[in-house]
Amino acid sequence: MRNPAGWAALTGFSLAFFAFIYAPLFVIVGYSFNANPVNMMIWEGFTLDWYTGLFGLSDRATDVGNRAAYVESTDQMIAALKTSLTVALFTTTISTVIGTATAIALARYRFRARGVYNGFLMLPMMMPDIVLGIGLLIFFVTLGMNLSLLTIIIGHCTFLTSYVFIIVQARIAGIDPALEEASADLGASEWTTLRKVLLPQLAPGILGGALLAFVISMDDLVITYFVSGTGDTTLPVFIFGMIRRGVKPEINAIATLLILASVVIAALGLWLRSRKTD
Amino acid sequence: MALRRQSVILGLLLAPVTLFLGVFFLLPLLIIAVFSVLSPGLYGGVEWTFYHWNYGRIFGWADGIMEIYEPIYLQILVRSLSFAALTVLLTLALCYPVAFWVSRLPDRWRLVFLFLITLPFFSSLIVRLYAWLLILKPTGLLNTSLLALGVISEPLELLYTPTAVVLGMVYVMVPFMFLPLYAAVDNLDRAQVEASLDLGATRAQTFAKVILPQTLPGIMGGAVIVFIPSVGNFVVPDVLGGAKGLMIGNLVEQQFLSARNWPFGSALSMIIMAVVLTVLLVSVTRARKAGGHA
Repeated sequence: MRNPAGWAALTGFSLAFFAFIYAPLFVIVGYSFNANPVNMMIWEGFTLDWYTGLFGLSDRATDVGNRAAYVESTDQMIAALKTSLTVALFTTTISTVIGTATAIALARYRFRARGVYNGFLMLPMMMPDIVLGIGLLIFFVTLGMNLSLLTIIIGHCTFLTSYVFIIVQARIAGIDPALEEASADLGASEWTTLRKVLLPQLAPGILGGALLAFVISMDDLVITYFVSGTGDTTLPVFIFGMIRRGVKPEINAIATLLILASVVIAALGLWLRSRKTD
Repeated sequence: MALRRQSVILGLLLAPVTLFLGVFFLLPLLIIAVFSVLSPGLYGGVEWTFYHWNYGRIFGWADGIMEIYEPIYLQILVRSLSFAALTVLLTLALCYPVAFWVSRLPDRWRLVFLFLITLPFFSSLIVRLYAWLLILKPTGLLNTSLLALGVISEPLELLYTPTAVVLGMVYVMVPFMFLPLYAAVDNLDRAQVEASLDLGATRAQTFAKVILPQTLPGIMGGAVIVFIPSVGNFVVPDVLGGAKGLMIGNLVEQQFLSARNWPFGSALSMIIMAVVLTVLLVSVTRARKAGGHA
């Protein structure tokens, strides 16, 4: 940089930018420990009540009003978390298998519809989730399918397959086909070459794609909102509902735990990536 | 090796994605198109008769008996487009200088700040929006602080305004703009920038003639990635916007979950889809023309 004053101004602007991104998250964390149940914005001392309350361990709720409502929401929250994890587990598995197979097909074979597939696979990622969500809703209802865990899993897989595809495809692009050619020349069948030579080299890419799919599935709100039945609520939909009904101090505690989880997952992703480049 | 004979295995690899996306992606979109020209049933659902008034209600050819044309729908469409465009411009204005700054940092710090910008990708969207609800509420952090400092004497009306919606969209979209911009800025040929300055071009000229053209693909990429989810967004206006912040996504949601007029909701969705496909087509053709490849 030729201009120190300009660089200083740029540094100031950039640090303010990062403060803009992170300050709201710290606000939630801060207020999740605030004892004031009525106006969360007035500090009344440190408490862990909202955390213990989440797990049904606190009597604090009696002070605030309807204890039954709190206990009920605790059970619902745990159930929503379970639903989210179940959905994410199935979704990750299915979309990883389909996405990986597609990436291998498009990278290692030449066929006429290849360009069409390449373009088409971008669409589920670019289609606004509300359009996909209502399309699936009409589709399931028209078919007479009950909205359930299954419809949520199908909904997630429609766009997550494309994400896995992109990640795995990027990985294949960096793999030298010479090893596979050698394998074929030495008499291994196409299937054996795929399984014993290509797949092991692809493993980090597949893992990366699966991780991304898991994270996006856990966070999906819009598609789930439209294709979930009354019985099965995922965590983001549950939180969305809580926010719509009015802010309760417990949301701060849930939100803080989710922020913590995301930091852990992001760090894990970073660690995976740094191993890949070794 | 690139050329392998077409085989059974190719079929096995492609069958799942073809079937799955054919049935659960293409078919639902097709159904939306069909529903958008059917007439609404009395108690939700549809009657299987051709009915173009769904679009007439929006674009102005309603007969006044079956359906009434309301200019509010077009207004909301225009608002959605302008909110999305504003979000693109604001995220661009925020991210462009920061992308430069990060790309010039020493290696270790660059990795730290790149990690910080990707972290929001892993954190919950609804949680990040909720934070702004806490900040903008009448009894929220911002109002409480400003009142305590004596800057204002009564709480400002911040929440449930168009400003709150655009602010929320900018906040959730910033990482999507940053990454493509950063990739373009990082690839910038610095020797050319130096040469331009050494040969007597002013900073403004260097920016306009060297830096901007080289980073344009990143700008366009970021713009498309931010515009598309913004225009159909319904969560941000739902949480932070009031009646004045209503966007077309909210209209769609209402038609499906409360008004139960599925054909009209489908017609509104078709408009979102048309906008998105137009943007995609234009950006792909532009990129082809500029780069010679997609």
